[in-house]
Amino acid sequence: MDTALYLTRRLLQSLAVILIVTVVVFCLLHALPGGPARGILGPQATNEQIAAFNHEQGLDRPLPVQYVYYLHTLLRGDLGTSYTLNEAVSRLIEQRLPKTLVLTVLSALVGLVLAIPLGMWQAVRRNKPVDYVVTTLSFVAYSTPVYFLGLLLILVFTQTLRWFPSQAPQGDTLSQVFSNPVALVLPVVTGAASMIAVFSRYMRASTLDNLAEDYVRTARSGGSRPFAVLWRHVFRNSLTPVIAMLGYYVPVLFGGALVVEQLFNYPGMGLLFWSAAQSSDYPVLLGCVLVISVATVIGTLLADIVQRIVDPRVKAERT
Amino acid sequence: MTAVLQTTPALEPVPGYRLSLRRFARNRLALAGLVAVVLFLLFCFVGPLIYSTDQTHTDLTQVNLAPSGAHLLGTDAVGHDELGRLMYGGKISLLVGLAAGVLATVIGTLWGAVAGYAGGWLDAVMMRIVDAGIAIPALFILLVVSAITTPDTLGLIVILGLVSWLVPSRLVRAETLTLKSRDYVLTLRAIGGSHGRAIGRHILPNSVSTIVVAATFQVADAILLVAYVSYLGLGVQPPSTDWGGMLSAGLTAAYSGRWWLIVPPGLAIILVVCAFNAIGDGLRDAFDVRGRG
Amino acid sequence: MSVLEIEDLGVTFSTETGDVPAVRDVSLHVRPGETLALVGESGSGKSTVALAAMGLLPGNARVSGRISVDGTPIVGADDRELSGLRGRTVSMVFQEPATALDPLTRVGAQIAEVVRNHRQVSRAEAARAAVDLLRRVGIPEPEHRASAFPFQLSGGQRQRVVIAMAIANSPGLLIADEPTTALDVTVQAEILDLLRALAADSGTGVLLVTHNMGVVADFADRVAVMLEGEVVETGTVEDVLLRPSHEYTRRLLAAVPRLAVDEPRGAGTAGEDPQEPEGSTSVVELRDVSVHFGRGRRTVRALQNVSLSVRPGETVGLVGESGSGKSTAARVALGLLRPDSGSVALFGNDLGRTRGRARRSLLSGVGVVLQDPVASLDARMSVAECVAEPLRVHRRGMTAVQRRERVAEVLELVRLPRGLAGRGPRELSGGQRQRVSLARALVLEPRLLVADEPTSALDVSVQRTVLEVIAELQGELGFACLFVSHDLAVVQEFAQRVVVMRAGSVEEEGPTMTTLLRPETEYTRRLIAAVPVPDPVLQRRRRVSLGLEASA
Repeated sequence: MDTALYLTRRLLQSLAVILIVTVVVFCLLHALPGGPARGILGPQATNEQIAAFNHEQGLDRPLPVQYVYYLHTLLRGDLGTSYTLNEAVSRLIEQRLPKTLVLTVLSALVGLVLAIPLGMWQAVRRNKPVDYVVTTLSFVAYSTPVYFLGLLLILVFTQTLRWFPSQAPQGDTLSQVFSNPVALVLPVVTGAASMIAVFSRYMRASTLDNLAEDYVRTARSGGSRPFAVLWRHVFRNSLTPVIAMLGYYVPVLFGGALVVEQLFNYPGMGLLFWSAAQSSDYPVLLGCVLVISVATVIGTLLADIVQRIVDPRVKAERT
Repeated sequence: MTAVLQTTPALEPVPGYRLSLRRFARNRLALAGLVAVVLFLLFCFVGPLIYSTDQTHTDLTQVNLAPSGAHLLGTDAVGHDELGRLMYGGKISLLVGLAAGVLATVIGTLWGAVAGYAGGWLDAVMMRIVDAGIAIPALFILLVVSAITTPDTLGLIVILGLVSWLVPSRLVRAETLTLKSRDYVLTLRAIGGSHGRAIGRHILPNSVSTIVVAATFQVADAILLVAYVSYLGLGVQPPSTDWGGMLSAGLTAAYSGRWWLIVPPGLAIILVVCAFNAIGDGLRDAFDVRGRG
Repeated sequence: MSVLEIEDLGVTFSTETGDVPAVRDVSLHVRPGETLALVGESGSGKSTVALAAMGLLPGNARVSGRISVDGTPIVGADDRELSGLRGRTVSMVFQEPATALDPLTRVGAQIAEVVRNHRQVSRAEAARAAVDLLRRVGIPEPEHRASAFPFQLSGGQRQRVVIAMAIANSPGLLIADEPTTALDVTVQAEILDLLRALAADSGTGVLLVTHNMGVVADFADRVAVMLEGEVVETGTVEDVLLRPSHEYTRRLLAAVPRLAVDEPRGAGTAGEDPQEPEGSTSVVELRDVSVHFGRGRRTVRALQNVSLSVRPGETVGLVGESGSGKSTAARVALGLLRPDSGSVALFGNDLGRTRGRARRSLLSGVGVVLQDPVASLDARMSVAECVAEPLRVHRRGMTAVQRRERVAEVLELVRLPRGLAGRGPRELSGGQRQRVSLARALVLEPRLLVADEPTSALDVSVQRTVLEVIAELQGELGFACLFVSHDLAVVQEFAQRVVVMRAGSVEEEGPTMTTLLRPETEYTRRLIAAVPVPDPVLQRRRRVSLGLEASA
């Protein structure tokens, strides 16, 4: 039926996007000084080694052919080997990604749970002092670099007040991470702050739009009280466009995770990426970019599907 | 009166310039933002003429001093005067931010207008590329690029612009789609008007408000992005600096209580970005533009 | 005692641009079981009065005077009291069914909400009541339909749902604000029948707000005419419609296009069969054109093997309801849409095969006027620039001075002052804008004018002016006209031939008078029967005879 058509379409679109991402990463791989050979063999490799490697890997073949090879490698799950850590990139990512996901998902949840009621409240109390105050605070939160906020939080809460530890939970497994929830608070709050600011604005705008809609008038003329109308009708209608925005916010969340992990020394993908950037560990860098981009595309797809479930009218011709 | 069986919904007239200006003037937050931006521009560009300090040579006798009469905001780890450095760094932050923001808007506008007007498969392909660009977090790409090269200021502007044009392109595309099916464009096409005329005389001029709002938000985002980039050590190199770089340099100092090295640049970033966001918000309300993307 | 009593009502809105007095010293009443029609054009304040009676005015409204519904005062009542009244003692049906319902809640639930607002019943009982109400308003398979979402229903069905919500608790007063304006005329007839039956059944008083005199004649017992916030005339429907005493009422009634339904009353230029010389090339001709949108299961066949033509100097009226394909056909004729099969010929040339300069030159012989007065002109250009645009496209050689002269000439043609050229569209009224649109269409002296619902968005009195201008100019300049409209009365007055479309095909065509007075197909007959005439006596007779016909 319609849903099947919609899903197929979206899946194909997502696949196309992922393909384009691989093209971008492929180009970056070849933009490296010394080419991918150096990227894989390392800065110490001699010219002969590089030439041999190139020939072996078929790197003297035309680019489109190499790209197909590259795709083939990717599909096997091979993302190359880190030469500073001497491990397969895919293994490294496998280890670190869940932790980053914990951080981002928690930040997102906290952000949404706070932002949505806040935004609605602002819309109902439009232009009253409360609205102005929260709007201003949102602007400030949105304009603060994540690391600055994190820094301030560390200074206040760990150094001065000593409520929280300055490092996020260490450890390799998720259970180790969860065994120290207190240490997760500051990182999650830091990650969630900008999200709260952004999404409360979205929710406010969406709610304001919906409050002006005809169906609100119809409900009120049937005798429904304002709060009932808000809860029964306006809320769900306001939520749908906000959920749609969620998909586009995923890359921002990951970007924030990069900074947060570095600041709080949290052993997730962000920190891995950060260290790899310091040591020019290209395979890791590019592998991370690929994985995160794919995660974003999946995130957007999920957000769209959720929106479709909540709102049965979402049409498939949205590009 | 109202129309029966309309094929397109009746529009409300777009507010004229005077009405928009008045609306903007009534938005206190936006006005405050405008004032703040002007003050900062003066501070960074005119300030050094009044309060001149040496930002290139180090002076190891004046290292890490707290704020005093001689150095109003203290000095940093190599002896530079902090207040002067704030002005100096601000020049770069603002310049790069403004330029990158405008560049991103220009690229995005062209891309979005073409995609929106062309429609069909060209639109689909162009938008998939945009989706791919959005899927790759900007910060990650910037780090990768920095591992390959170290750009100069111009290079930095270009790279930031290339990373940020995606959002304006979606906004302009949406606007173009709407305008393309407006009656006055349809009428023009029906009597033989060219595509060029439709875009140049009708679609782009009517998109100006969307573009201006997008540009303002892009500048805000760009200044923030510059701050991130410099903080991560990829931006301008010493002795040059910008606010983000000052934060990066002052990081270790923060733990030892030398607050004057991080609070001023941090506050400066927050205030300027906030100001541009407030202006953008005010403009959007004044022009009745939809969506932030 | 009246169910609605309004005394000296005054409403002022405070807007960005200052205070706007919308209603001044309005007094009226509605008795149980009677229908009072409140008529007026845009800006008359009639909708404001209706909203005021429900206490639903927006926050920037200042109200003075007295309103009481079933004895309870409305002005100054707090929200709690008003909520108690709304949906129980007084209900409202709104104009736009497309947006009147919550898109994310099933229709049964929305009706049940109204029930539970005022009666202490369980969810299950309310749901059952909702199904009953759906049946009462004529929705087939009500048990099944109750779980539908609004977007799954047609416009007419959605309006029935809104009516169901309005009568759920048997209110003493029903306020209907343009309840059928957004609906097709056949659906309109059904909805009006429904409202009439419901009102008669339960002795409900009805305040019917409308601009359509035909609807008034069909439905109302008494009429109040509003102009610029004041009531200028009140009386029984026969008195006001047949023997109007106020100047404005007379003007309004004279401006209403009347559908001739009896043979002898046929008037206007459409009297005789047109005599066109055989063999003259059509100005525009669609041959066997088909257009479809979408793919696969969701294909919409907008046009199916449609053939029609317009000959030099004649006006062809293209009529139909929504979804009939008339606008699509017009767009195909303009070359804006490429047909999937069939051919389009403009001035004898196949449009599908002409390109580039030849095509442009062909299109310069066409003038276009579209429906929406706001969207038809680019607000960023002055009137002069708007009108001169075709000159810039096709007559590049003209100097600025020559262009200015031509613009002034053509503005005069459409009876607009020359001085308007320097103004912006924002400063013009709807009627003025449409005339500017017309001026732009005529500036190149076209051989064909395509007008797609050019007056549908205008007030009735303004509509008359614009239509007269078009007719006059056609007489002077001799262009052919393809006139798309849903309004049969207008088409009858101005078109020599009429093409009736339905669901993408041509249902019937022929000379206007013949086709509209003696239609051949059942559909056309129903279409004509559904159009109410602004003469209550005649309308009653029609209803009776049509009713007898239907049951015969």
